[in-house]
Amino acid sequence: MIGGQARVRILAVSAMLMLGGCRRIDNSKLLIVVIVPSQDNPFFKAEADAAAAHARSMGYRVRVDAHDDDAFRQDNLIDAAIASNAAAIVLDNAGADSSIAAVRRAAKAGIACFLIDREINTIGVAKAQIIADNRQGAEIVARSFVDGIGPGGGDYVELLGKESDTNAQIRTAGFHSVIDKQKNLVLVAAQSANWSQSEAFQKTETMLQAHPDIHGIIAGNDTMALGALAAVKSEGRKGIVITGLDGSPDAVAAIRVGELRATSLQPAVAISKLAVDEADKFLKTGSTGKPELQIIPCDLVTQQNADDFRDFEKVR
Amino acid sequence: MTTTMVSPPRTPRVRTTSVRTALFILKARAAVVLVALVLLFSYLAPAFFTANNLTILTKHVAISAILAIGMTFTVLTGGIDLSVGSVAGLAGMVAGFLLTQGIAVGGVSHYPPTLICIAVAIAVGLLVGLLNGWLISKAGVAPFIATLGTLYIARGGALLTSNGKTFPNLAGEAARGNTEFPSLGQTFLCGLPMPVWIMLLLFAVAVIVLRKTPLGRHIYAVGGNERAAQLAGIRVPRVKLFTYLASALCAAIVGLIIASQLEAAHPATGESFELNAIAAVVLGGTSLMGGRGSVGGSLIGAGVIGVLSDGLVMLGVSEFWQMVIKGIVIVAAVAIDQLQSRVQAKFLPLLLGSEPEGAA
Repeated sequence: MIGGQARVRILAVSAMLMLGGCRRIDNSKLLIVVIVPSQDNPFFKAEADAAAAHARSMGYRVRVDAHDDDAFRQDNLIDAAIASNAAAIVLDNAGADSSIAAVRRAAKAGIACFLIDREINTIGVAKAQIIADNRQGAEIVARSFVDGIGPGGGDYVELLGKESDTNAQIRTAGFHSVIDKQKNLVLVAAQSANWSQSEAFQKTETMLQAHPDIHGIIAGNDTMALGALAAVKSEGRKGIVITGLDGSPDAVAAIRVGELRATSLQPAVAISKLAVDEADKFLKTGSTGKPELQIIPCDLVTQQNADDFRDFEKVR
Repeated sequence: MTTTMVSPPRTPRVRTTSVRTALFILKARAAVVLVALVLLFSYLAPAFFTANNLTILTKHVAISAILAIGMTFTVLTGGIDLSVGSVAGLAGMVAGFLLTQGIAVGGVSHYPPTLICIAVAIAVGLLVGLLNGWLISKAGVAPFIATLGTLYIARGGALLTSNGKTFPNLAGEAARGNTEFPSLGQTFLCGLPMPVWIMLLLFAVAVIVLRKTPLGRHIYAVGGNERAAQLAGIRVPRVKLFTYLASALCAAIVGLIIASQLEAAHPATGESFELNAIAAVVLGGTSLMGGRGSVGGSLIGAGVIGVLSDGLVMLGVSEFWQMVIKGIVIVAAVAIDQLQSRVQAKFLPLLLGSEPEGAA
């Protein structure tokens, strides 16, 4: 047993160690707060890391927060950014409608907001909205999916993202605007796997049982495509065309060896850097010099050009 | 039931039998629901009742069943373990780290053999279980709060392992001598997937511990009446510690199985798994107040949840309806649990009266 006094001392020492671990804040630099949906998803992580690194290299102080796609949490984080006197916020928001109030509050507090990846349903509140073209990204992947299955056509299944998520809806609409023109491609099952790899794995296994002769699986993101791939492999099935969307490094690696057919790379890194550049320009000159809404097209990644992409960035 | 001292009426044999049948069905409700669901889905989806699909189904069930087996231990003592999903995630990440990053000694990465990776991952999981057990039995923190805390700690730990990234390519490399990891979740033994064997093994051990050992009786005693158990000389803290270690062990194994199936370790793996495990335990008739229940019930409960979700996927029911239906089944199960207790209390004197030797 440890005596009471010793215990207090241990507590005090550990508290000091914890405080020591935090660096003292240098107030001489302007603060840019980067808020993204999560830091355990490779896409958002790359996006956050790119924005943070770019802003630091330009001499800003940076803080990175995650709102877990929870508008209430995002609200609190925006409040925290206001309280910390941030100069700018780079935000991948938690919902096109549910984020408007929070962004407006930040704008009223004199903080310039730069939205990345997803838009909000209002113009004139944020300084810039730099968005990956999800619709076009979905369409180019769908075209590659159709080509992969070939003129013979066949049955296919779709793995949807979290169905309450705007992007899940835009992506599936993009897929179907292309695929539905092919009369011999038949959607036999569509399930949400909530963007998750393990969920996609289990659901694909079950769907393969229900529909033994499917020719393709089109997934709303790369994580789900990789889950589907693992299921197809564990079933020992060959020749099923699988596509993803996002351009994650793991998916690009699977495309390189021919296991996935295609994905479309959302230029997350480029968008993050652009947002920081525009924030910097705005803070120095009072204008970004660009229109608020900027839509950046996605790139199709196939086995032919897989080596050109790395960590959500086109490097060649 | 000391309150019902009104002399029970001597009833004809027939009535006792029907009461007994009704009680049996109520008691075996999870099994009845399971059989009903299997029949229903077999009828609605032709591919459901095929050897192939049942194999895959049992593999899916194994994941929540293993968690539920561990959870049953904690729930039997009147506790709960909310940290299992996070522990699963953490164990997968630890294994993923060791398999793909190795241990750097003097600037050179050494890759430990697969078995060591698995052992270390389980040990890290057990460490969380140890912390749970210590917080609950020694520091006196309520199980709900203690394991809620470790839920966050373990999830944070999982994210810190890779700084939020996924560890891909857990298949290992021949040159590093660690290519066996995928076999944990992917191989078959006598026609059954490995995860199912692991589930059966853990189930057998759990049944033996709970039924045949003093420790098992102590677990029920602690859950039934902790104070009485303590006065009877049972070392309550030690019993509780054991249950949280058992739960963490099962959770770590689940994390390893998932990582092995996907050949990738993702730090968010296992989010909200604890809810599935608790649902399975409750569906299986284990009382959240402790002292009453069985691992067999939990296994059937996990079966119900697994059959339900796979069957609905097969029928192409939307995710939203799947959630609604799952919720209804869970709530209905607990409502029936209450009904059973009431019916049992009401008819107990009758049953005892008709059969005084009382085969309880």
